[in-house]
Amino acid sequence: MSITQETLKHHLKDPAIFCCRREKGTVIGAADLEDPGLFEDMIDAGLLTLSENALTIEQVLGSTLLTDVEALTPITKVVLDKVNQVETVPVPTATVKEEKERTMTSSTYVGGTDMIHVSIDKLEGLSLDIPVGVALAGGVQVPPTVAVQENKGEKHVIRKLIKKHIKIVDAEIGNTTSIKDGKITIDENIVKKAAEEDPLCVSLKLDVIRPEERHIYTETIMDVCPIATKIEGELGEGITKVADGVVFMLTGVDEDGVQVHEFGSSEGFLDEKMYFGHPGCADENDIIIRCHAVIKRLSGMTRPGPFAAHKCQDYIIQAIRDELKKYDGEVLREEVCEDVRRKGNPRVVLVKEIMGQGAMHDNVLCPMEPCGVQGGQKNVDCGNVPIILTPNQVRDGSIHALTCIGPATKEMTRHYIREPLVEGLAMDEELDLIGVVCIGSPQVNDEKLWVSERLGSLLEGLDIDGCIITTEGFGNNHIDFIQHIGQAGKRGIPVVGVSFCAYQGQLVVGNEYATAMVEENMDMGGFENNVAGCSCVTKEVAVRAIQMLKNKMAGVEVLPAPKKWSNDVINSNNKLMGLPETELLDNGTLH
Amino acid sequence: MKLTTLEGMQSEIFVPVTPKPVFTELKKPINECKVAFITAGGIHKKSQTPFNTSGDFSYRTIEFDTPSSELMVTHGGFDNSDINKDINAMFPIDRLHELLEEGFIGSLPKETYTFMGGGGNVEKFSNETGPEIAKKLAAQGVDIVVCTGGCGTCHRSATIITRCCEAEGMSCVVIAALPPIARQQGAPRITAPHVPIGSNAGAPNNIPMQTAILKESLEWVRDCPSYNGLKVLPYEYRHNV
Repeated sequence: MSITQETLKHHLKDPAIFCCRREKGTVIGAADLEDPGLFEDMIDAGLLTLSENALTIEQVLGSTLLTDVEALTPITKVVLDKVNQVETVPVPTATVKEEKERTMTSSTYVGGTDMIHVSIDKLEGLSLDIPVGVALAGGVQVPPTVAVQENKGEKHVIRKLIKKHIKIVDAEIGNTTSIKDGKITIDENIVKKAAEEDPLCVSLKLDVIRPEERHIYTETIMDVCPIATKIEGELGEGITKVADGVVFMLTGVDEDGVQVHEFGSSEGFLDEKMYFGHPGCADENDIIIRCHAVIKRLSGMTRPGPFAAHKCQDYIIQAIRDELKKYDGEVLREEVCEDVRRKGNPRVVLVKEIMGQGAMHDNVLCPMEPCGVQGGQKNVDCGNVPIILTPNQVRDGSIHALTCIGPATKEMTRHYIREPLVEGLAMDEELDLIGVVCIGSPQVNDEKLWVSERLGSLLEGLDIDGCIITTEGFGNNHIDFIQHIGQAGKRGIPVVGVSFCAYQGQLVVGNEYATAMVEENMDMGGFENNVAGCSCVTKEVAVRAIQMLKNKMAGVEVLPAPKKWSNDVINSNNKLMGLPETELLDNGTLH
Repeated sequence: MKLTTLEGMQSEIFVPVTPKPVFTELKKPINECKVAFITAGGIHKKSQTPFNTSGDFSYRTIEFDTPSSELMVTHGGFDNSDINKDINAMFPIDRLHELLEEGFIGSLPKETYTFMGGGGNVEKFSNETGPEIAKKLAAQGVDIVVCTGGCGTCHRSATIITRCCEAEGMSCVVIAALPPIARQQGAPRITAPHVPIGSNAGAPNNIPMQTAILKESLEWVRDCPSYNGLKVLPYEYRHNV
């Protein structure tokens, strides 16, 4: 199959291969050449072998063939009258440049309907002042009457949230619930009352795992949840206390001992089953309070079962939150989070595709307490429709993950309270982060499309200049993910997609807008492994995604992805950005 | 407003293309055909080793005379409640026996093969599991293979296996809850009832719906004009999870 002039332009440096038999005397043009995009498939199918002395397309254009040549044969200099000399281009190096000031073009004229028509191609922060009672003669060209006041992205703070990180140095299970001198004590009897919170919860058990004790067996990790509580204001504003140095870890089995898991479980030795330090996980030195739930037989893969475990654990955490509110211990640091507007900067949103398919594929949004369950609404019950949160609301624990998919790619509750993309976008002085849109992933195809269309309208209404769309997990949710990218793309909104794909999660569908994509994988084989939080949005993923978005918005090319997953591409991007290499975890995963 | 840009960045994730066509025309009336049903939905006998839910390219052999009460599901990609209620929601074995009795289909093979396609290893399914299942079905004289997916990557695995069967000379259809995946991955024929993943063959215990989906999928094997043809089936079920 020959190629078009348009395709040709993108492949000048690729090998020149005849698409069909060509006879002596042919002057080589696009119509004679095979599409380089198909080479890999052809090589796989044994139809094509590339040779080292094959010339590139730019070297052969306009040359005349000296002999007959068969289809799918690389063109070499011996069959041509001449070879075009081309300049060798050095491998792209990290060249950071600042885009020139956005240009604004506008025109004003009086249309045939006695209306003043103002057409502006690209503009930020327009301010119009038109005198009242201006009379215009129909059909007369008038000079522009538009006064443009340029906004330069000055920061305007909408609201502030102060997260006080309270130093916790120890935890134990005792006979009363309290926090004293940096030590959390939890009443051992609380588990009985907590388990009564939901009839599907059979029992709960608590223990404390200190950092040096992590070579300990654990059932599958359902969630990692911070202990945080409101002191002043609603979620996203005022003051929140966060216990520093300690997290809850929820584990679960059913009455038959079946792990409460979905796409793979993470039972085993804890030190081997969590990616410590990743946003959703415990940090290296965190004390882990393990809450182990046993739920009713066969309820693990249904929606109410796992929820019962989360709900009952929340009862226990609430008792500690109540103590934390009163506790006046050492504040390690005060983290100031601001919801800001930077008018004049490109308006961007972060779209987080979260799950919405029942079982553990669900999330609680906007609970009463940070990272809590009580008072929140379930994403599935909300119909999976897009819901916009402020960056501060996300950073104040507005999303409690009921955690889905496999251990490695699920975003746990702790992930959201310190999501690197939210942090990165909110802090970026070149951008104006409008909000964080959470959107569910329904289990029916029609509903996926329906929900995605709602997102499209929302993005249009928000009048954004760019967006980043992430998804956790892989597989059917990639239908929604690609749809969302399409909803932005078809409206001309620059979009970057972020997901685990690699080998096992390679996209099952695609479209022409998915051209700037960032990979989350950190498994050697490119599989969903059984290490909790391994392949999620990390700081490095966030930095690459934000840069790609800026490139897309500024019209700087993002080169196409190779046809197969390769960690080299990720590391080449890391290198360009001065980021550390993405080191893959050899977990021996091969399913 | 200024944006810091960086030349030389490359997209990290490849967007798939639909593979080359594979299509075997059905040359017999349905009521003379031997019809097999395979599924990527994680169905197996209670006595068999469950699938590894994080990815598994092995398969289980199910004799068609296995009572449906002896079957169960092991799959992590969707809410299992519907299949727990009625195995026919994914693997309509009881409906197949009814269609045989009714004379709608000619016969059933002695055995069929089930797998858990979630997160399925593409190369293993394409080069090992797929060709093996296809050969075993062809050796039993199967004419038509009907297949349900399950979750998203199940649809990918299901499509890979049906492509292998099609290449082996059988005419295949994927009953897809997620038709975009079956299309993109190159299923020979696709029917698409409006059902959630986890009830891909119709609502649990809704015998008329399951029967109609199965019959119309078989008819689509006969009527589908060309490769990758999709027919939307007018059956709707919403799973209230």
